[in-house]
This record gives sequence, structure tokens and C-alpha cells, in this order.
Amino acid sequence: MIEVRFHGRGGQGAVTAVRILASALYLEGKYTQAIPMYGTERRGAPVVAFLRIGESRINERDLVHNPDIVVVLDPLLSRTVPVTDGLKEGGLIVMNFPKPGNEAGIGGRFRLATVDATGIALEALGRPITNTAMLGAFAKASGLVSLESLEKTLLEQWPGRLGEMNLRALRTAYERVTPPVDVSGIQALGKRPQEEIFSRDVSSWRIFKPQLDEGRCVGCRRCYIYCPEVAISMTQGKARVDYSSCKGCGICGEECPTGAISMIQEVL
Amino acid sequence: MSRPIPLHEIGEKEYIDPANQACQGCGGAIVSRLVSKALGDCFVRAEVACCGPAFMNIRAPSIYVEVFEGAGALMTGISRGLKRIGREDVVVLGIIGDGGTVDIGYQGLSAAAERNENILWVCYDNEAYMNTGGQKSGATTPYAATTTTPIGEYSRGKLERRKNVPLLMAMQGAPYVATASVAYPEDLLGKLVHAKGIKGFRYIHVSSPCPTGWGYDPKDTIKVARGMVQSGLWPLYEVSNGILKLNYKPKELKPVREVLKMQGRFRHLTDEEVDRIQGEVDAFWSRLVEKDGGNIF
Ligand SMILES: Cc1ncc(C[n+]2csc(CCOP(=O)(O)OP(=O)(O)O)c2C)c(N)n1
Ligand code: SF4
Ligand code: SF4
Ligand code: SF4
Repeated sequence: MIEVRFHGRGGQGAVTAVRILASALYLEGKYTQAIPMYGTERRGAPVVAFLRIGESRINERDLVHNPDIVVVLDPLLSRTVPVTDGLKEGGLIVMNFPKPGNEAGIGGRFRLATVDATGIALEALGRPITNTAMLGAFAKASGLVSLESLEKTLLEQWPGRLGEMNLRALRTAYERVTPPVDVSGIQALGKRPQEEIFSRDVSSWRIFKPQLDEGRCVGCRRCYIYCPEVAISMTQGKARVDYSSCKGCGICGEECPTGAISMIQEVL
Repeated sequence: MSRPIPLHEIGEKEYIDPANQACQGCGGAIVSRLVSKALGDCFVRAEVACCGPAFMNIRAPSIYVEVFEGAGALMTGISRGLKRIGREDVVVLGIIGDGGTVDIGYQGLSAAAERNENILWVCYDNEAYMNTGGQKSGATTPYAATTTTPIGEYSRGKLERRKNVPLLMAMQGAPYVATASVAYPEDLLGKLVHAKGIKGFRYIHVSSPCPTGWGYDPKDTIKVARGMVQSGLWPLYEVSNGILKLNYKPKELKPVREVLKMQGRFRHLTDEEVDRIQGEVDAFWSRLVEKDGGNIF
């Protein structure tokens, strides 16, 4: 039996991803379980979902504690969530990250494959929903499921144009994912989740960040009033963003009457 | 009646800590921050189970109960306790979800209004039970898709009409009742400051769009809220001792279609259904205009 844990953020489609994967594997004659984990998860907040794959009937009914494979749908999640916890030695991590595996800040006796799923999703869907791209990357890096069964399941889930767009994300990621590299020699980087709770640094929730052009700011205070996170303050009649408190919702950019705020993609 | 507060008069002091645990672009989070800014240093916040605690980082004493039908009783208790120790100057504030207000919390709400308890009840209305995944509530706009009114062969979304709790509260004789919207902070803050100066039962119902449950991009929270007001889907008015005043009265309302089409929960609507909503909105609006400036009962 092979066990997989998916890490994502609310809105990236981790739960849908395990369901599609379980259905695709079922088409190939496998026994599968897709397990969502429910809580008060909110869009942008960390979520997990699990998958079991067996050659025979699976009797386990609990959550996955020692996965063989971990899939990470978000590039910055590993800084705040212990994504490698319980991962078996020699296990595989498939991660959404725009750079090679040895630069992702993940270390330990694992193998790590990376793919720029955010970039691919933005290209294919116009929105940073990374689940289908990560399924393509998973198929290639793990070799556990064929692209054909994934494509079939995907089109059943979303017939029509949406399905076609997701197919594009799936195939592109399948082609672009890097071969897994050994990261046993790498020092793991990252904060404990505890620290995030106390410091309330939400910068890793962001995919886009507001960039302020001071020259165009007329000090109308709209962005300051509408920011849900109190991330904007006014100093000497100009707006200023505190990036550690900004989740990148984009309200300030949308509401600024002079176009002084533009939302630009975070570079990692 | 209230006086709108211009943006440049809103104080710099924050009563909420930066960054919360709500979704990106949460309308309720903006409401709760603006409410605290309007009330200033002197309030106690009552809280019940809802999304509220996710955007709670408020620098004020808070009392929380898990049972979300309990807001009316909780606020009553706090208010009576404060009276006993001679601190009636402290505002007893509740920031309560629509489920905890118009449905399961309604008994406690209407009883508190009946007793004219000295409390300020702010309902942030995201039009469903969002904390538990978006089940429809009595505040959900008709025809909306929610997790309990999905779209399919046998269902076209929510069937029932909205419960109009602000008007119900006014009919119960509450000294001050108002609707507001997160897209109109000048109006919202004016109403809060006005309500702060009144003794007795005060009720403010604030439209607070929810990107997660309504299915739109988080950047559009204010746009959606504004569209609801401009189209008459969410009229802004206040009722002081029975006298109604419309606070936003354009020459012509925008068609509802535009704002409905921005939201995933209305994507299934046919032209005929949109027309039906338009008809209901127009009818309610003309009755409001008729009553404007006069007694509602
Ligand atoms: C008596 C009771 N029933 C059910 C629950 C579970 N519960 C917690 S929050 C919530 C939804 C609250 O909805 P609403 O008041 O609309 O606030 P929102 O979540 O939308 O902010 C529910 C059903 C509870 N806490 N207490
Ligand atoms: S909304 Fe734009 S112009 Fe107004 S204060 Fe913010 S950045 Fe400046
Ligand atoms: S993007 Fe959203 S959270 Fe960030 S500063 Fe702008 S309004 Fe605030
Ligand atoms: S579900 Fe809606 S109301 Fe609740 S925190 Fe998220 S955006 Fe806000």
C-alpha cells in the first residue's frame, strides 16, 4: 500500500486533487481511498488531504501519518507547515516551486521533484489554482498513475472548456516537472508552525503582492480603510504596506482611484 | 439620524491587530475593524461561534461562547453586569454572523429587543453559515447556490425570501436600527457613532461579502458590496424611533444583473430568473421610497 499526503491552502483544490487521483487509479484497477480533512479551513489557510493506493482491499480508516509521498501545492507553505513530518525515509516530495529541488529549503533523507505549478496554472487557467498541474507532476515524478487515466477523470469532472484548460495545466506540468533530486545533504529551512501563530506573519499566503507607486498616491486613504488585514498605514499622507501582514487579496489595488497600487506576482 | 463620517476624519488608532485568520479579502474582517474604530476605547465585545473569531484579533475585552444561538443572552448578561457595577458608559457590542442573528439566534435577539436591553448588535451578513462550509441561512439572497441549496436537476438554489430582520427589529420598536455596507465606510461609521450615543437596543445589519462562499475573486469584495447597494439588492436605510430614512437614494438603480453575474453562486441564473429578482428588488425599493421620511408603522 502506498500512502500520500497533500498539503495546500484553502482554494488551491487539494481535496479535489485527491478525489481525481483516487478515481484515476481506480480506472487502472487499483483500490483507493481519498480522505479530506475537515475543519474551519479558510481560503488561503493551510489544509491537508490524504490518499491511499492498494493492490487489494484497504481496511485502514484513519488519517495518513507516515506517507510515502508528500505533494505540496503551494510554494511557501513549507516555511510554516512541517510538510515532511512523518514522511518515510527515501520518500518522495513533489512540490510546487519555481526552482530546482535543492533550492526549496527542504532537507532530509528524501527525494524532491519541483515544478512551477503556480506559473503553469496562471498560464493555463488564469488563476493560481494549482491542483491539476500538481497531478501532472505527481504522475511523472511518481510513475504511479498514467497521464491517460488522469485526463479521462479530469474531463469527467469538468466537461467542456474548464476541462480543456485543466488538461493543459496537467500536461504542461507533466512535461516540466524536474526529475527527483536527493536532498539528504541539505539543511532544512523553515519556521515552526507555532511561530506563525504568535507572530501572525501571513506573507506566505500571498501569490500576488501590492506594489505602491508613491508618486501616484494622493493620500485618499481608501486602501487603508478597506484593507482587511490592517496591513496598510498612512505616513505623511502616503500609503505604506506592511508586507508581513498582507495576504495579497488585491482589494487595495482594485479600490485605489489613481492606479497607484499594482498587484505583481511574488518572485521566489 | 446619523451623519456620515468622511474618510479623512476616521482616526488612525487601530483596535485590531494586523493579520487575521480569515480568508483573503474577507468582508467581515473589514467590518469588524471599522466597527472597533468607530466605537473607540470603551466597549466589550460579545462573540459566538462563527467566522468572527477568525478575524477577532481585537484589542478589547471579549467574551466568547461556543453556542451560536446565545448572543442575545450573552450580551444581556454583560450589559446587566456592567450596569450593576455602574459602568453603563461601556458599549456592549456583538459582532454576530447572519446565522447567529436571523435564524438560530433570533429568539435571543428578539427577546433582547423586546426588553430594550442596552446593547449594540452588529450583524455582519455573509448570507450563509460560512464557518461550517456555506449552508443557506434566512439572510441568503433568493436563488443563490449554497451547499444546502445546490444547483441540479431538482434545485435552482435558495427558494425562500430573505428574512428582513432590520425591519422586524424596527417593528419591535427598537430605538435605532440601520442597514449598512462594507463598501460605504463613511455611512457605516456614521451610523455606529450615532448608535454609540443612544441608550437601549441598537441593531446594525451590515452587508459583508464573502469571496469563499459567494464565489468571486477576493479583490472584488468592495465592488460586489457596492454593486449590491447601487442595484437596490441591499438598500441603505436607518429607522430612528419608527421614522425611516433612506441613506442612499440614486435617481436610478443599476440593474441587478451586473452584480449577480460577478458571483459564482448566481452563475446558473437564467435571464428569466434575473428578471424575477429585478422585479422583487424594484417592488421593495419603491415601497422604501414611499416610506422615506415617514413612520414605518
Ligand atoms: C448550537 C450550535 N449549533 C451548531 C454549531 C456549529 N457552528 C459553529 S459556527 C456555525 C455557523 C455560524 O454561521 P453564521 O452565524 O452565519 O456566521 P458565519 O460562520 O457565516 O460567520 C455553526 C453551524 C454551534 N457552534 N452551536
Ligand atoms: S488608495 Fe491609492 S491614492 Fe488612495 S491612499 Fe491608497 S495608494 Fe494612495
Ligand atoms: S493586498 Fe489585501 S491584504 Fe495586502 S495590503 Fe492590499 S488590501 Fe491589504
Ligand atoms: S468564509 Fe467568508 S466570512 Fe468566513 S472568513 Fe472566509 S471570507 Fe470571511
